[in-house]
Amino acid sequence: MKVVLKDLLKRFANAERAAVNKINLVIEKGELAVLLGPSGCGKTTTLRMIAGLEQPDSGRITIAERDITDLAPKDRRLAMVFQNFSMYPTMNVYENIAFPLHAIKMKRKEIDRTVREVARLVNIDHLLERSLRQVSGGEAQRVALARAMVRRPEVFLMDEPLSNLDAKLRVQLRTEIKRLHQDTGATFIFVTHDQEEAMTLGDKIIVMNNGDIQQVGTPHEVFFGPRNAFVANFVGTPSMNMLSGRIVADEGGYRLRLPGFELSLPARFADGLGKMKSDGVIWGIRPEAIKLVSAPGENTVSGQVELVEALGSRDLIFARAAEQLFGVIVDAQESVPVGAPCHLHFAGEQMHLFDAASERSLLNDKPPQSPHRDGGRLCKDGDIHRIATNSPP
Amino acid sequence: MPVPTSERLLAYVILIAMAALVLAPVLAGSITAFKPQIIWVSSPPTWIFEPTLENFEFVFFTRKGWQYLRNSLIISFGSVAMALMLGVPAAYAFARFRFRGSKALMQWLISLRMIPPIVVGLPFYAMFLYLERGLGIGLRDTFPGLIITYQTFLLPLVIWMMRGYFAELPAAMEESAMVEGYTRMGALLRVVLPVVWPGIVATAILNFIFAWNEFFLALILAGNRTSTLPMTAGTYIVRTRVEWGNLFAVNLLIMAPVIVLTVILRRQLVKGLTFGILE
Repeated sequence: MKVVLKDLLKRFANAERAAVNKINLVIEKGELAVLLGPSGCGKTTTLRMIAGLEQPDSGRITIAERDITDLAPKDRRLAMVFQNFSMYPTMNVYENIAFPLHAIKMKRKEIDRTVREVARLVNIDHLLERSLRQVSGGEAQRVALARAMVRRPEVFLMDEPLSNLDAKLRVQLRTEIKRLHQDTGATFIFVTHDQEEAMTLGDKIIVMNNGDIQQVGTPHEVFFGPRNAFVANFVGTPSMNMLSGRIVADEGGYRLRLPGFELSLPARFADGLGKMKSDGVIWGIRPEAIKLVSAPGENTVSGQVELVEALGSRDLIFARAAEQLFGVIVDAQESVPVGAPCHLHFAGEQMHLFDAASERSLLNDKPPQSPHRDGGRLCKDGDIHRIATNSPP
Repeated sequence: MPVPTSERLLAYVILIAMAALVLAPVLAGSITAFKPQIIWVSSPPTWIFEPTLENFEFVFFTRKGWQYLRNSLIISFGSVAMALMLGVPAAYAFARFRFRGSKALMQWLISLRMIPPIVVGLPFYAMFLYLERGLGIGLRDTFPGLIITYQTFLLPLVIWMMRGYFAELPAAMEESAMVEGYTRMGALLRVVLPVVWPGIVATAILNFIFAWNEFFLALILAGNRTSTLPMTAGTYIVRTRVEWGNLFAVNLLIMAPVIVLTVILRRQLVKGLTFGILE
């Protein structure tokens, strides 16, 4: 089922700014869309409005062309999994899963068949007679999944369902949710603040901040083509190295003056730089994109390794160069000991530049199209500017 | 950390001493209830005697104690039922919805518990008189009259206690049921109430004790038809003498239902009073 949000606005009483600020969003049938953002960004409020648990101040929500904005939650034909709650404590596992079926007055025999079938799908058929006290946190969340699936809804809403689980279980259930999505072919809308979770799960990622949508795109698009400085900073761990700098015009090109060193900018920024009203920019490069080279040269700074964190097959090195601290990811075999001198090379094609005033990317007004599915879209052009600057409309 | 035996012993000695201090008069009185009239006030007290039920027989039948017991039961159960029916939904609303004045309303409710009964007793009496003479609605000396009056003190207690129980539950519990096809009322009845059931039992018992023991409002508003047990206790203390044996027999009648109820429901009561503490 295609889910469409149009000009959705929600302002809580006594709040300074809107929790959700007239957002527009299209989630295609069968898509797994992830709402990603820091706490308080409006992602959960958006989800709760789709579920009918919050009433928007204005705007419409449609599912498969049906306007559901004013319907009660029970009439919206969707399922929801919550973060901090997974079972009705007075019922056993079986009764929990059967509970939504009683609401539609299904016959006992049919209920029994459906419950067992769904329980098998999420591997809890051996737990059916257990009570709440006898199941673990991961199992309880599977019960919640089963209860969500039992009415065969075509839209699943998930509000950080994995956040209360330990790391190993989280990864395991993440895979299962992905499999569930493939098997059911239903539309999933998943809320998380964990960008790794968003990257691994999502067909489409919707990055939110301060009630606005910052960017919509595939995991690749938001990672490699962040539309503004917020997305660049928020998506990716360890996060992108970012510095403020000034643009200087050079013969036939542009140079970037950063504190303590200078870089020459590749031609692909020329268009964006030409349109800028001032010379202030934010420069960014991901830790994975910085190369350790053996000798100084063009676009290279020299410094010293201060700290090394082992990540497994790779190391995260913190190197101080030109009085700045850079995070660099290198293969474990090529790692450098603490205190060793090093030369950091910044490849031009991996750099990001953002207008210091608007924080918009100078490159990605039109992000590269994803090979699969349409990359999602923002509805109005004006929105994009407002989103990037975080200023009121 | 294990508690040393000596400390544990000391704790028991103190606890037993405190219990004895409180319970000794009750015990002495209760024994008197079974004494024949001739040794009610013998000095020194007689502790060895053949127990008799003649005091109970006297207060129960001769002095119509059974009627007062019946009245007390009707009024207490009636008041508690009404307080729960009105108070539980109200408490749920206070726990889950913010509306204009909701905080002030809660403060006002608790302030009702601070008023001495006489402050509401006399206005109620005046109102009942007015209703009777002006509109022909007789509430004086009726069960509904007392049951309604008692809501002044029972409702705040129900609402404050139950709001606490509801507030402990994650809102996601009802929200989940609502998404799964139930109305909010359906979610409340099928999901929330079963969870807070021990809380309802604890609330009911505390309210029952209040209604059962209530004396002052009953004195003003009840009459021949609706007199309660506590009211009759006073009739055994007259100017010339105190009928000790009969008085203590009535006392036992007053205490018995509360004790029986508490013993039967003690598990739920403890669960309710410690709700949320153990988990």
